[in-house]
Formats: sequence, C-alpha cells, structure tokens
Amino acid sequence: MAAPILEIDRVYKFFGGLAANADVSFSMEPGTILGLIGPNGAGKTTLFNCITGYYPPSRGEVRFEGRRMNGLQPDKVCKLGMARTWQKVRPLAKMTVLDNVMVGALARTNSLREARRAALEQLHVVRLEHKEDHLAGGLPIGERKKLEVARVLATQPRLLLLDEIMGGLNPAESEEIIQLILELKKTGRTQMVIEHDMKAIMRISDRIVVLNSGEKLAEGLPAEIVNNKDVITAYLGDSLE
Amino acid sequence: MIIFVQSLLSGILVGGVYALIGIGLTIIFGVMRVINFAHGDLLMLGMYLTYFFFASMGIDPFLSIVLTAPVMFVLGAFLQKVFINRVLNALPQNQILLTIGLGLVMSNTVMLLFTSDYRILTTSYSSSALHVAGISISTPLLLSFAITVAITAFLYWFLLKTDTGQAIRATAQDRDAAQLMGIDVKRMSVLATGMGTALAATAGALISPTYYIFPQVGSSFTLKAFVVVVLGGMGSIVGATLGGVVVGATESLAAVYISSGLKELVVFVLFLLVLLFRPAGLLGKSRM
Amino acid sequence: MRPALPPMLRAPRGAAVLPLLLFAAALAALGFLPLWMTSPYALHVMVLIFLAVIQGESWNVLGGYTGQYSVGHAAYFGIGAYATMMLLQYHHLAPWWGVWVSVAVAVGLGVVIGSITFRLRGPYFVLASIAVAEIIRLIALNWTDVTNGAEGILLSDIPPLTIGGRLITDFMSKVPFYYVGLALAAMTIAVNWGVQHSKLGYYFQAIREDQDAAHSLGISLTFYKNVALAISAFFTAASGAFYALYVGFVDPSTVLTVDTSVQIVLICIIGGIGTILGPVVGALVLVPLSEALRSNVIADGLFQLGVSENSRTGQFLKENLAHAHVLIYGVLVVVVILFMPEGVLGFVKGLRRRFAGKAALPAKGEA
Repeated sequence: MAAPILEIDRVYKFFGGLAANADVSFSMEPGTILGLIGPNGAGKTTLFNCITGYYPPSRGEVRFEGRRMNGLQPDKVCKLGMARTWQKVRPLAKMTVLDNVMVGALARTNSLREARRAALEQLHVVRLEHKEDHLAGGLPIGERKKLEVARVLATQPRLLLLDEIMGGLNPAESEEIIQLILELKKTGRTQMVIEHDMKAIMRISDRIVVLNSGEKLAEGLPAEIVNNKDVITAYLGDSLE
Repeated sequence: MIIFVQSLLSGILVGGVYALIGIGLTIIFGVMRVINFAHGDLLMLGMYLTYFFFASMGIDPFLSIVLTAPVMFVLGAFLQKVFINRVLNALPQNQILLTIGLGLVMSNTVMLLFTSDYRILTTSYSSSALHVAGISISTPLLLSFAITVAITAFLYWFLLKTDTGQAIRATAQDRDAAQLMGIDVKRMSVLATGMGTALAATAGALISPTYYIFPQVGSSFTLKAFVVVVLGGMGSIVGATLGGVVVGATESLAAVYISSGLKELVVFVLFLLVLLFRPAGLLGKSRM
Repeated sequence: MRPALPPMLRAPRGAAVLPLLLFAAALAALGFLPLWMTSPYALHVMVLIFLAVIQGESWNVLGGYTGQYSVGHAAYFGIGAYATMMLLQYHHLAPWWGVWVSVAVAVGLGVVIGSITFRLRGPYFVLASIAVAEIIRLIALNWTDVTNGAEGILLSDIPPLTIGGRLITDFMSKVPFYYVGLALAAMTIAVNWGVQHSKLGYYFQAIREDQDAAHSLGISLTFYKNVALAISAFFTAASGAFYALYVGFVDPSTVLTVDTSVQIVLICIIGGIGTILGPVVGALVLVPLSEALRSNVIADGLFQLGVSENSRTGQFLKENLAHAHVLIYGVLVVVVILFMPEGVLGFVKGLRRRFAGKAALPAKGEA
C-alpha cells in the first residue's frame, strides 16, 4: 500500500461554540477519487477550507504528502500541490478565459509565454479553447465550472479538491464533468469530490466519506455506503426511497 | 483630579454631539451599506443654515433646529433619490467616490456663495459657563448635550417602538429579507438618508455657537464620524452613541495630557487599532 | 461574434508595435515642444499635466490594477515633497540625491503601512488609508522642530545641476521642470505598461477581481499588494518631490490633505482606472479645465459671448469662477460615477463598441 497523499487526523473546527467539524479522520491513497458527501450543513465545505488553508483547524492535523499543513496560507498550499475549486464559482470576471487560466499557470512559471502555453493546454483538456478570448464574467454556468477546473489544473496540483463542481449543471454538462474527472484520474491525479448527485458520486468514487453534523458518519466503498444503515437513516433515506 | 474630571466631562459633552453625527452616518450605512463621505459637508450645511436663520432673522441657533432639521431632511431624501439610489449595487469604492464628489460640490458651492471667510455665531450665552464644585461647564455645550440626549432618546423610541422605526431596523439587518417581508425598502432608504442628513445638520446647529463656520469645516467631521461609527461597529446605533462619547472623551483627555495639537492623532491611532483588532467595533457584532 | 475586448485585457501577442511607435512619436513631439512653445504659462500648464499623469499612473498600479482603493496617497506625495525639501533646505543635499532618500522613506513606510492595513478589505481599507494619511499630516503639522509645522518650508534656491563641471541647468526657467516632468511621466507610463505585460499585472488584476480566488491560485495577497504599493509609493513620492521643487514650498495643507488624496484618485477615475491611458486622459481633462477656471478664461469667454461684465452676474462670475476648480472636480466625479463608471476612456470605448455592434448586425443578418 502506497503512503497516503492526504491524511486528515482528528480535525475539529469551531465557530464560536459550534463545532462545524468534530473529530474527522480519514486518509487518501494517491491516484484515487474520494467522494465527500453529507446533508447540507454537514461541514463538507468547512473541511475543504481547513484542508486548503482558508482557515486553520481548531484542533487536529492535516498532512499532505507527510507534511503538516496546519496554518499554511492558501497560496502556500497551492504551491505545495493541492488546489481547490469553489462551490460558488469565482471567475476573475473582467479578465479573459485565457488570462484566468494563465493566472493559475503562473504559480509554476514566471514566463508569460510558458504560462500561455500551459493555459491553452488546460483549456484544451476542459474543451474551452474556443472561448479563450471571452470575458470570464460573461460565461454561462457550465462553462464557468469548466474554467474553474482548468484554472486549478494549471497550478499543477497532485491533489484536486472539487467542491460541488456539478451543482447547477444540466445532465449533459454533468456527464461532461464526470468524464473529465475520470480522465484526470487516468493521468494519476488524486481527487476529493464534494457532490450532491448520488448517482454521479457512486460512479466516480473509489471510496466515500459521509459527514453528518460535522462528524464522520461512515467511510467505505460506494457499495458499502449505499447499504450502510446509519447513512440511510441519516441522509440517504430521503433521496433513495 | 479637578483637571481630569473637568476635561473628561467636557469631552463627554462634546462626545454627545459626535454621537449624533455618528448615529446619522450609521443609519445611512445600516440601511444602504453606503459610507457617506459627504456627512461632514451636510453638517456644514446645517451650520450655515443655522447661521443664516440667526444672522438674518435673529432666531436662536438651538431653536432654529426645528427649521433646519426638516429642510435638511428633504435635502437628504433628494440626495438619496437622485444620486445615492443609483449606486446601491455599485462597487463600494464607486459609492465612496460619489459621496466624496457630492461633498466637494456642497463645500465648494458654499464657498462660491459665501466665500471661505470664517464666520462666528455669537449668542448671549456663547461664552458663559456654569461653575459647580470648582468645575466649569460651558453653557452652550451643556445645552447642546441636553438637546442631544433628548434627540437620541426620541430616536431610540422611534426605532424601537414605531412600525416605521422597526421597518428601518429590519432593513438594516437584512435588506433582502426585509424586502421579502413586504417592507418598502426604497422608502426606508429615503427615510434613512433624510434622517441621517437631518441628524448631521442638527449636530451642525448644536456646535455653531462654539465652532468657526467655514465651507471646509465638514471634512474633519466626516473623518470623526467614521471613527465614531467604526468604534461602535458599523450600523449600530448604540455603538455610535458609545463611540461618540469615547471619541469626545479621548480627544479631551489627550488635549490636556498629551498636547492639544495631537488630540486628533490619538483618535486616529485608536481608530486604526480598532479597525485592525476589533473590526466589528468595541461592542462586537450587535446591530441597531 | 466575439465581444470586443479592451486591449489591456487581451493577452499580449508578440510585440505591440503600433502603440510603441505612437508612444515614441508623442514623446519626441513633446520633447521638441518647448523649442516652439515658449510661453511660461503654457509650459506651466504642461508641467501640471505631467504632474497629474505621474500621480495618476502611480495610483493606478495600486488602485487600478490591484483594486486597492487608497484614498491616502497624499501620505506618499507629502513624504516625497517634505523629505526632499528638508534635505535640500536644512542639509543642503542636492535634490537629485535627496529624492532617492525621500522615495526610499516613502516606500519603506508604505510597506509597513501596507503590511498592517492590507488585511482590511473594501471600505475598511479605504478608511484605514485615510486615517494613515491624516496621522502623517498631523505629525507634519505638530512636529514643528523638524517640519516647521503649519508654516511649511520655503525653498531658497535649487543648486545648479552640473555634470563633470559642465552646467546642465540652473532651474531658473520652467523648461528644466518641463523635461523632468516629461521624463517622469514617460517613466510611469512605461512602468504601467511593464506591469501590465508581466506576471505582476496578471497577479494584481487577479487580486482586484477576487482576492479569495487569487489566494487559492497560489498568489500571496500581502506580498503582491505590498509590491503594488511599493511601486505606487515610489512614483507618488517622486511626484511629490517634483512638485515641491517646482513650487518651491510645502506645507501640510497643500500636500498632505485628504483633498490631495482625492484629486489623485479622481485623475484615474475620470480617465478610466486600470488602463494605461486612463490617467493620461484624466490629466488632460482635469488640468486644463481647472486651469481655465483658475485663470478666468471661462469668465472671459462668457463675457465675449455677451454676458455683461459689469452686471451683477458678471461681477459674481469674475470674482468667484476662479475658485470653482474644485467644484468642477466634484461635479465631474459625480457625473463620471453615475454615467460613465469606467471613466471617459471606457465611455468612449463603449460608444465605439455600440456603433461597431450596430454596423455588424445587418451584415450577420440578425436584424
């Protein structure tokens, strides 16, 4: 078994007296896809924020490739090879699609020419190259999501955290994203995916972690999760029956 | 000790007027999330109106508030409808620049009309004082403080007990939710700007017997109003009341114990410290 | 049809030859202008325009590209002005050396201030920038031993500039100031061009568009904001030094007030922020307009148009219009924010786009 690429070790996050994450632990194997699910308010995005340095965990430790990440700023985290997308997409609205992706690519190079080459490559991966000259703010939601992925890919992450990347998309667009995630897996990238669409998450995930009220409720293979009683009562109950 | 009590007391009395300025700014900010950089200029207009009523009709500056405040209320409502309303969804910096521009127009129009000469409004009681236990309290300052307390009490009553007041507070708390609940948010914005303007002008009237009146007098009060409001937490009326008194007292004590030239410097340093370490204000999160 | 993009937002493809040629031509023309245009007043107006361009382009790096709306740039302008004057008047250090000291002080202080205030966002940053500038004004006003307080510092004379024993200029006419101003203005424009066509420009704009997104893409916010501030403070301080030497006098109420800060911002807002040409357009609009008012050109024009000079209105205009230049700033900024929030430049581009769009429609058969 390879050394885990990411370890979440008894992570807590408090806001005031409220625990948004409590005692969450799990780890990820390189090259796998982990689905992070749970009802609204379960603390999924909070966990993303703790992992990527948006704020430090109140207790516990996040280790990336064996390195302790607590207290590192998001820019440092990105440079170390871990990048995230935002649930509510955040295009750099008054910059072009190409410029958006170049900003990501510039994390790895100081040369604009090199960054442009890398950016075009990623735009090709998400099939957005025909829109390179458009302003990012003017894209429809499906393309904004793709742009978000391309921009993050341009920072050359080894671990990718995708926060509801299919939210608000139509079935055809979702399918495109699913294919994209599976393609990325083939290139050896590790991915953690927050998603509400159960069918999609079951298809793409190697393992699934279920959060409920900030705590880890269950962890296992997709097939195990579907049959887990706790999960069914706490969460899947409504959506599957 | 006497000196300490004396300066603390006069600081608090001046602070009452600062509170009034701050409350006006905070109501406008609360309801529309617009920082009014013309606030001091509105105060300046209040001073000139008061001066006009006094010089041409002989009306006492404190009495003429009943004329000044409504006139300025209308001006505020006008400014909201014609200008501020159009930038409610603009970038904050554009809102700021718009109000800066409006302030420049006001102060420079007054300068064109009345020149930049300093004017002094001298009442029979301008330099009189009460003496109690070795402490002297300036009469106009005491009067203005009393009026401030009365107005503030009325405002609290209005905002807490009347339907309109509660609607304004609801709008300040959450503009979208207020709209969904059927509150006429646009009307509340007009009302709030009118009230904020009237309060600034009232403060101007209250200080007119003790301050020089000139077109550029507003800018220092705009800055002071920011300090007051940030100290108390943006959008909080209780906070602005407290902030006003804190700023007044700090200024007054700094003038005595450090140097009168540096009293504003002390206030600005305090302001920066609060901005950096307690961005929600001294009282924390509470709103209106 | 692809939506037309402002050129600054488009990725540079190869060398932009035409703008460079235009820039060189304009520079050459302006370089020869004093040979033909000898009127001291005309030169004076040109110097003021250069000054506004330098100020505007400097602010643009921080406010325009990086989106950090400092309304406290009077601090750096004032420090540049004061330090240069103090070194020259009290320590007899020639300004071409003194300016480096003053610029270094401004940049150093700027980075300290930036490290403290850059964690504030939006209106809170604006308020903090004003507070800092006010603190510096109050220090200059009260630290009388060093700054001479409210009386300010009056310059007795600037030593003649000699290189290898040869006299270059004695700074007696406006011509040397014209060339220094032109050089500085060209330099700040070049710096903006350089920023825009480098990694810095991409990072600055990313910070302007969305700080959190930028942060998560590997951009250190504090570092890059401080870089923008350092560049901005450097040239703002240089413009302050230039102004002080040109006028020969500094005091807190001319170089350190909120009004100074606001005017610097207005140059960019009126022209169009975040563009290279914006501050130039802003300077070309603002300076001639306020000079025209100041020198009563407009009042004279109205008299020629038939307004009686001896009527009450005429008297009023004659006496007061000269004081109205700040009023015009106010009116302009209100008009610009309400009707052309992207500045004159953005407005013109918008018009052009609209007409181009209309022309294109029938061709595509979408009518």
